[in-house]
Amino acid sequence: MTKKYKFLFVKFITALFILNGCSNSTKFASENKDPFEKINRNVFQFNKYVDQKIISPISKTYVKKVPAKIRSGVSNHLQWMDTPNTIINSALQTDMENTILASAKFLLNGLTLGFYDLDKGETVIKKRDFGSTLARLNVSEGPFLMVPLIGPKTTRDLTGTILDRQNMATLSSNSIDDLSLAEVPINIIDKRSKMSKTLDNIYLSADPYVKVRSFYLQNRRNEIYSEKYIENKNNDLDAEFEKLLD
Amino acid sequence: MQNLKSFWIRKKISRFLSYTFLIFVIFNVNITKSFSDNLKMGESTIQQMIIEAQKHAIDTIKLEPNERSLKIELLNKKYINLDFMSKATTGSFWKKASETQKEKYKAALLKQIVLTIEEHLNTLATLSYKPTKSERRGKKLIYVRGLIEDPNKKKPNINLLWKLAANKNGSFLILDLEIEGISLVSSQKAEAVSILRKNRGNFDILLNKMTRDN
Repeated sequence: MTKKYKFLFVKFITALFILNGCSNSTKFASENKDPFEKINRNVFQFNKYVDQKIISPISKTYVKKVPAKIRSGVSNHLQWMDTPNTIINSALQTDMENTILASAKFLLNGLTLGFYDLDKGETVIKKRDFGSTLARLNVSEGPFLMVPLIGPKTTRDLTGTILDRQNMATLSSNSIDDLSLAEVPINIIDKRSKMSKTLDNIYLSADPYVKVRSFYLQNRRNEIYSEKYIENKNNDLDAEFEKLLD
Repeated sequence: MQNLKSFWIRKKISRFLSYTFLIFVIFNVNITKSFSDNLKMGESTIQQMIIEAQKHAIDTIKLEPNERSLKIELLNKKYINLDFMSKATTGSFWKKASETQKEKYKAALLKQIVLTIEEHLNTLATLSYKPTKSERRGKKLIYVRGLIEDPNKKKPNINLLWKLAANKNGSFLILDLEIEGISLVSSQKAEAVSILRKNRGNFDILLNKMTRDN
């Protein structure tokens, strides 16, 4: 990375943190923390257009033409490539069990470059990224963002994703970095093929943008936060349900 | 004389304590029994529904999509508390809706639930369901947790949480379903309330949007 780009990168991350900080300082933000809704909706329309015109047809052809075994191999390999991020972030979050399990699985599956899961899904690893590490450090979620070509993120998670990519670039050699860049479109196609029906149903809903936002935030919060958060959330919902049942 | 009096008082106190203890035990046993009965009923409702859904998925695989949807609708009506879900997903706006709008909304919501179930129905037919934990929450709610597993372990497990409550007839109905922590009611509420807020509580606009593409 040249000096100029490094400077721009640092500026971008700082801007994201400032954006994060000035919005709200509470840890558990409400679902509607979406101050950029107008812009986000336009970006969502753009992403939807790209998805329906380019990504979805390619992913459908991919599912039709490529045998399931090869697709599963590609999927395994992509997950394997992402494991170092889980190892680093599990260690940063002092989750030693996950660090050890992820490291062992990464080394074991490294024998096949991750194309085949030698462990046969016996070891369950919790996916950890820098976004979740920032959450552990009590960094607030920040406003919801719809990022062009990437999709839904919160500012905290976007910061995390950028830092994760930066991490990988620092750790790996240039050739691996080029390889992981080539994997980005494959990753998109692979993920799209797995979520095909869900996305098509979302597009059919009354307000697809709100549905995506709700799905993303609920899923992300469940991934990141502790059981205590989930318990609190359930208690609130229970109280609301009991009131309606009366 | 004094001794006799104190003996008498002590006897009275001990008798009072014994009765209190007995009443407490009986009351507690009854409550625990009714709690566990409710839990069992909740669990068996879900088990029964899963069995019917799996059977249904296999039986209807050759049917036309419309016919299939119609059969899933019937299954849903049997197990889902649609009145509750409609109220829960529209919040305070529910009271402002007319009876016709309410009925139309219920029908549209049912269609959306059918779509969601159809999306997972074929997957459910090939995978197995395993109940994991049930618990009573508050005065009326029951949580039934379960896992959808792939016997070949090629797909990751899917965590499910069903929230149930008894209706007036005493049978348990589903109020909400969380798939991997994503609540059906919460997502539908976010969507419906957002549209209603933007259109000053106009239910017709919401109904138009919900039925537009279905």
